[in-house]
Amino acid sequence: MKDINILSIETSCDETSIAIVKNGVEVVALTILTQMDTHANFGGVVPEIASRMHAENITMVLEETLNKAKMTVEDCDAIAVTYSPGLLGSLLVGIEFAKVLAYVYNKPLIKVNHLIGHIYANKIGDNLKFPCLALVISGGHTELIKMTGDYEFEKLGETQDDAIGEAFDKVARVIGLKYPGGPNIERLASEGKDTYKLPIPVNDNTYNFSYSGLKSSVINLVNNERQRGNEIRKEDLACSFQTTAVDELKRKLELALKNTNIKNVIIAGGVSANKYLRSELATICQKYNATLDLPEFIYCTDNAAMIGAAAYPLFIKGEFADLDLNAESNSQIC
Amino acid sequence: MNLFIDTHLNDVIIILSENGRIKKEKKILNEKQNSKIIMPLIKKMLNNEIPESIIVVNGPGSFTGVRLGVTIAKTLAYTLKIPIYTITSLECMALNVGEEDKIVGFSDKNGYYIGIFNDEYTLVGEYEYLSNAEFEEFSNKYNVILDIKINYEKVINYALTKDSINPHIVNPIYIKKIDVEK
Repeated sequence: MKDINILSIETSCDETSIAIVKNGVEVVALTILTQMDTHANFGGVVPEIASRMHAENITMVLEETLNKAKMTVEDCDAIAVTYSPGLLGSLLVGIEFAKVLAYVYNKPLIKVNHLIGHIYANKIGDNLKFPCLALVISGGHTELIKMTGDYEFEKLGETQDDAIGEAFDKVARVIGLKYPGGPNIERLASEGKDTYKLPIPVNDNTYNFSYSGLKSSVINLVNNERQRGNEIRKEDLACSFQTTAVDELKRKLELALKNTNIKNVIIAGGVSANKYLRSELATICQKYNATLDLPEFIYCTDNAAMIGAAAYPLFIKGEFADLDLNAESNSQIC
Repeated sequence: MNLFIDTHLNDVIIILSENGRIKKEKKILNEKQNSKIIMPLIKKMLNNEIPESIIVVNGPGSFTGVRLGVTIAKTLAYTLKIPIYTITSLECMALNVGEEDKIVGFSDKNGYYIGIFNDEYTLVGEYEYLSNAEFEEFSNKYNVILDIKINYEKVINYALTKDSINPHIVNPIYIKKIDVEK
């Protein structure tokens, strides 16, 4: 069969990224322009500034990607774009840009869900085997999903309140760490010990998660210690928080491994870049003789390659979008 | 044939012009979901023809509105390898007032965008965004011309006399401050 090259675009948050992905598994070229340094000045992503920077840079990001691939848009078989979930203004830049490419070059347009993109990041290098358990962990999501085939999802459980990444960011702010909070907590935690006693989030037999109670107890602990004039051992608090947060994932993943007898596990989403989390989940999988597949580090955070990988099954099925495609700030995997 | 795109507020205005005259024109007023209609409309109007140039209104106005029009225009110019020209929303208005010095403006509900132009339609100083209260004070002192009826043929022909711009650096002008800039 002829190779299928998909030109894919991701602008859902603060990364302008364009990739060319071959047959859904091989990255021909990938460019990621991150705005992280700009937003760090404001302590978090400023949606209007993110949208502005996407619009300023997107044609140049395309040019760079085509140069790396030594290809033209004409050489590609389809244009894929993230349409949801994400920041509306940012998504819209990528969507309008994608529509123009699809129109000018007369290529099919494929709309891709950003979270499904994170799951399909595992397809790069062909590590997505079915059936599998997918743990989607990011700044906006904490979900445990069972997949029985391409685009066949069944939600086992999800967070009842905050997402795990959100909890990392908020705890980081409370203990005075800079944006982005997640990586900074991880760095600090590696220098500390798990000495602070924090409550266990959801100790039940569902696959649901909860992070708001854990987050609040860290905030309360910091406030109480400050009132008493006690110094907070930041490294230890970061370590205790990270340990408790990851334990919650471990417990629920273990429950699913035990109950479903599925032997393939994947992790998806920005929080999967956390190395402590990776090694802890690997230990649980080992215990159940399951293989844990992780996207390569570069495909964990937002990138267009995963969008190209997730677009491929839709291309094969012929599920194409029209030029009236709109952005959606929220949407579910299933 | 030239393609003109103006999405700086809630209206979507797409015009095709040829030899200095308007050939096709479509205005969709008060559109809430610009992104759903702009590209289908451009496709329908172009009807498989390739424009020889693009003119885009690059603001000031609604942030998202301007950004949609500009992103589409610069990507079309870049991919079709055709020249792109920009004209501001306030230039469009100034062109349609007489040749004397003038202050033109328009409202976006929360305030007014204004620009001072000389007799050659050149901006004097910088564009300003005034809150409704500031505008009331300002308009007591100066005559600001509002609600200007725009002759798009004139606008397009004027824009085409400008220098074309590298599509990579065609960007919206925003003027109005966002919270983090205040």
